[in-house]
Amino acid sequence: MNKSLRHLFLLCLLLQLGGCSFAELTVRASMPMIEGGMLAVNREDDLLLAEAAMPANIELMEGMLINAPDHRELRNYAAQAYYGFAYGFIEDQQPQRAAKLYRRGLNHALYNLHDQGLSQAILNGPLTELEQQLAQLGQKSVPALFWAASNWAKWIDHNRNQAEAIAQLPRAVLLMQRVLQLDENFYYAGPHLFFGVYHGSRSPMLGGNFELSEKHFDKARQLNLQPLLIIDLLQAEFLDRQRFDQPAFHARLSKLIQQDVSAATDLALINNIAKRKAQRLLEKEAEWF
Amino acid sequence: MVLTMFNQLIKNLASLGLLFFLLSNSALAQQTYTLKFATLIPPDTAWVDRIQQWNDELEQQSNGRLQLKIYPGGVMGDEPDVLRKIRSQQLHGAFFTGYGISRIYPPARVLEMPFLFRNIEESDYVRKQIMLEIEAGFEQAGYQLLGWPEVGFLHFFSKLPITSLEELKSRRIWLWQGDPMGEAFAEAAGVSPVPLSIMDVYTQLSAQHGSIDTVYNSPFGALAMQWHSKLSYASNVPMTNAIGSLVVSQRFYNTLPQDLQQLLKTTGKKVAEDINQDSRRDNAKSIELLKQSGIEFSWDWNEAEQQQMLQIRDRAAEILDESGYIPEAHFTRVKNILSDYRDNQPDQ
Repeated sequence: MNKSLRHLFLLCLLLQLGGCSFAELTVRASMPMIEGGMLAVNREDDLLLAEAAMPANIELMEGMLINAPDHRELRNYAAQAYYGFAYGFIEDQQPQRAAKLYRRGLNHALYNLHDQGLSQAILNGPLTELEQQLAQLGQKSVPALFWAASNWAKWIDHNRNQAEAIAQLPRAVLLMQRVLQLDENFYYAGPHLFFGVYHGSRSPMLGGNFELSEKHFDKARQLNLQPLLIIDLLQAEFLDRQRFDQPAFHARLSKLIQQDVSAATDLALINNIAKRKAQRLLEKEAEWF
Repeated sequence: MVLTMFNQLIKNLASLGLLFFLLSNSALAQQTYTLKFATLIPPDTAWVDRIQQWNDELEQQSNGRLQLKIYPGGVMGDEPDVLRKIRSQQLHGAFFTGYGISRIYPPARVLEMPFLFRNIEESDYVRKQIMLEIEAGFEQAGYQLLGWPEVGFLHFFSKLPITSLEELKSRRIWLWQGDPMGEAFAEAAGVSPVPLSIMDVYTQLSAQHGSIDTVYNSPFGALAMQWHSKLSYASNVPMTNAIGSLVVSQRFYNTLPQDLQQLLKTTGKKVAEDINQDSRRDNAKSIELLKQSGIEFSWDWNEAEQQQMLQIRDRAAEILDESGYIPEAHFTRVKNILSDYRDNQPDQ
């Protein structure tokens, strides 16, 4: 055995002893590229370019997960990427396709949660048991909980014509409630946006609570130091619509479209998506009011 | 000469008249009608999908002359709000539950008398027999009854076990505020319920020291309104088959040409039947889903409890008769139809 072969053998042995395959090591080494890729997409202000780039990023992550299935961070990024791609580029035109993408995002996040003690049986079992189990989860579970709840709620939203889907909503809500308790700032105060929509999108008769919805939207504004247009977009789309407040709906969306947010470079993608969606919502104004 | 001129004038006038007639007929043929229709059912659910399909059919069959503008998810307020908006012509039609129906034609709720029907076939049969009377009652109140989609069989749901009438009486039971039928039953059963708007039920169930711990709803209703996430127990035996209705104001209906009136009626009846099928399917499925969520169904009555319940029902019927809400004659007629039906069933 020559010297270099001996080194390779030793390296493989060390890696195996550490419970880590060569492929996994490669994946770990590639994580900065994935993180850089996510950042670059989020800074992209050209929606066509972002839309074209995201599937390749997703496929890259899927490929890496084949080699490193237990890579928690990568799973969370995949769950986030499916959510972002479906919400930003697919659901307005192809809602059924979006539902499938949300489901895939959900499965990635659930994989991590299973690893953290939230088995399928608990996720599908009595709500009180799920709540008890969620109380055991801590800070490290926040990303998986957040992306699971976000993808799940969206999947339910796109399958509201099925009783089975409606029955799952309290489960997604319980997951997000835990995120709210653990880290209300997570992903641009995402838990507050979730509950702004949750309480604002239903009639009080069906469990909606407009005041609470408004409080969550206000809190999200307060926690975000940079202008995040998605807050106004969601408030108009869900709360203003449910309140049947056409002037507020119109004014909020019109203002959003005019707003100059070029200084918030890390939010370029999400803000530009918000502007495009706002335009689409204004086109529905006559139909909704 | 004068006669010729006079004849010419008559001809011209006749032509003008004909032209005017043709023009106005053509204008009438082109006139479009938008029926503003509200429902508490959330958008994109199976039932609202049905209403959307109804709209598509109306538009297609009327060549675009008649369409719905649908306001789902309670954006127009609860049922009393919607009724007010129909009266002020801000809206023209709606899907109402028994609560809304009671403000249009209360005797229709004889079909909601608790513990009346043993199964869906009995309910369907009786409904068909008295439908013409109910339609006439709606018309007299200023509404056209287009269809009769049902909400489904109502069960008690509670945070605490309910395994006997005595246990039920000890619970803090929600009563839909302003519902004479619920009030009559509470009085007959010797129960002191907590009257609340349906808008407040979820909040009170969610509160740590809420004013209620027991409610009633269809299994699908409990699921769709997310009440089930706050409850742990349900009664096995359903109370009643809750009714619903698709209505349009007579005032709007009268503005429509006859062919569109006919179209609205035939398609309305069909969509109500479709919703009925969905409702029955969803309610059956929801019982299983509620069980999966951890809700325990219990309390199968014994013979003595059944008799006790029927006595309460009959006492409530007397109260409703005294108040004129459901005249005794209606209840007797329904009971007679049901009795005849049962007599003709081979297995009864």
